[in-house]
Amino acid sequence: MADPVTESAVLDALRKIEDPDLHQDIVTLGFVKNIKIDGGAVSFTIEMTTPACPVRERFNSEAREFVSNIPGVTAVDVQMTSQVRPTRADQKNQLIPGVRNVVPVASGKGGVGKSTVSANLAIALSQMGARVGLMDADIYGPSIPMILGVKEGPKVTDQNRIIPPVEHGVKIVSMGFFVQENEAVIWRGPMLMQMITQFLGDVEWGELDYLIVDLPPGTGDVQLTLCQKIPLTGAVIVSTPQDVALKVAQKAVVLFQKLKCPILGLIENMSYFVCRHCNEREELFGNGGARRAAVDLDIPFLGEIPLATEIRTASDDGLPLVISEPESPYAKAFQHIAENMAAQVSVQNMSGAGQVNITF
Amino acid sequence: MAAVSSINPAHVPVEISRANQHDVRIRWQDGHVGVYPARYLRLRCACAECVHEFTGEALLKPSAVPVDVHPARIEAVGRYAVQIRWSDGHSTGIYSFDRLRLICPCETCLPTAGA
Repeated sequence: MADPVTESAVLDALRKIEDPDLHQDIVTLGFVKNIKIDGGAVSFTIEMTTPACPVRERFNSEAREFVSNIPGVTAVDVQMTSQVRPTRADQKNQLIPGVRNVVPVASGKGGVGKSTVSANLAIALSQMGARVGLMDADIYGPSIPMILGVKEGPKVTDQNRIIPPVEHGVKIVSMGFFVQENEAVIWRGPMLMQMITQFLGDVEWGELDYLIVDLPPGTGDVQLTLCQKIPLTGAVIVSTPQDVALKVAQKAVVLFQKLKCPILGLIENMSYFVCRHCNEREELFGNGGARRAAVDLDIPFLGEIPLATEIRTASDDGLPLVISEPESPYAKAFQHIAENMAAQVSVQNMSGAGQVNITF
Repeated sequence: MAAVSSINPAHVPVEISRANQHDVRIRWQDGHVGVYPARYLRLRCACAECVHEFTGEALLKPSAVPVDVHPARIEAVGRYAVQIRWSDGHSTGIYSFDRLRLICPCETCLPTAGA
């Protein structure tokens, strides 16, 4: 008769699975939980750092394979769960205590598709099972309500708390809810600061894994206020591939660097265009510029999104592509980037960098 | 384009605590430890009330700062700085981690410690 299956044999087998982003095995990382052994039947849970984990299928199949290879094992039951880690718990007076990660989406230049990217990323994360909020901090040109087809504005409680509307599973707050469509916001710095503070502290965000913040273009008051008010997890930079856009995107990178906000990575939008008649790939702005810039700047490259009429019409119709055509190559591009972003969030949080313990 | 993404660990504190009743102790990620006398820090406040925004001229008169000035509370500002609420009521100064490291008054850093 074979020796009984031991817990340490199971752990040794699982130690062979390495997380490609965190560069450690899943046992050392503490992902393996609830090991139960009943004769030859082994069950356990793998708790990942995000439901949007890009390697969840591989973890699952490798775990099954490696454990079933242990002599004496007759059945393997793997449960996959996730627990998103918070950025840091040490900042007192937190405006948004229930929000685990805040990810601003920034660009240097305007018109690179930041809002469309933010909206599709937020929904993609929510579709993968994460709890997601989307703050439209583009005070001057709020476009998130239109892109997401938000029909009803927020409700305000008797205590002056703002209850955000939920669209496609994502909680949304936008300046667009508070100004008439044909009005303009003409504000100086202190007013912007107040608005951002309210969008953080006065909104009932509840428990969120990711709060995506769609920033206005540039390096101004909104960016600075956000970096001062809360500990940001890391910024995502969106750029188109041409040199002029990338040069300006670099300025956005420098702003976050100066404020010690990590950069989760660079997204290349409007990467290329596929002609619908001849299927030829047209590199309108040159291709691969952002990928090269990411290497030069030593920041992760999160992925590229093609220029496509479908993406534009979906945004204008208020039904983002990841909802309307989730199987299309465009939606896949957003989903892939959402996974890469979630992985970078985990890398940041597991590294423990930037944890300052203040006792004064 | 130069690589700018890596954050210098020497410029990120791990712990900010009390060195004694008044003074501030900072332990940095690279292991360095510095003790900042309270009044030394107060006199180096870089806010617009204490230093002229355009000329850099010192507006704060040292004689106007109480000898026993000390932080009442220290709070984090995002991930890059702290705000100190002083016993004399002053609270507009934001001390970035980069600047705090630059003005570290320990024996090793002092020769290069900025004004």
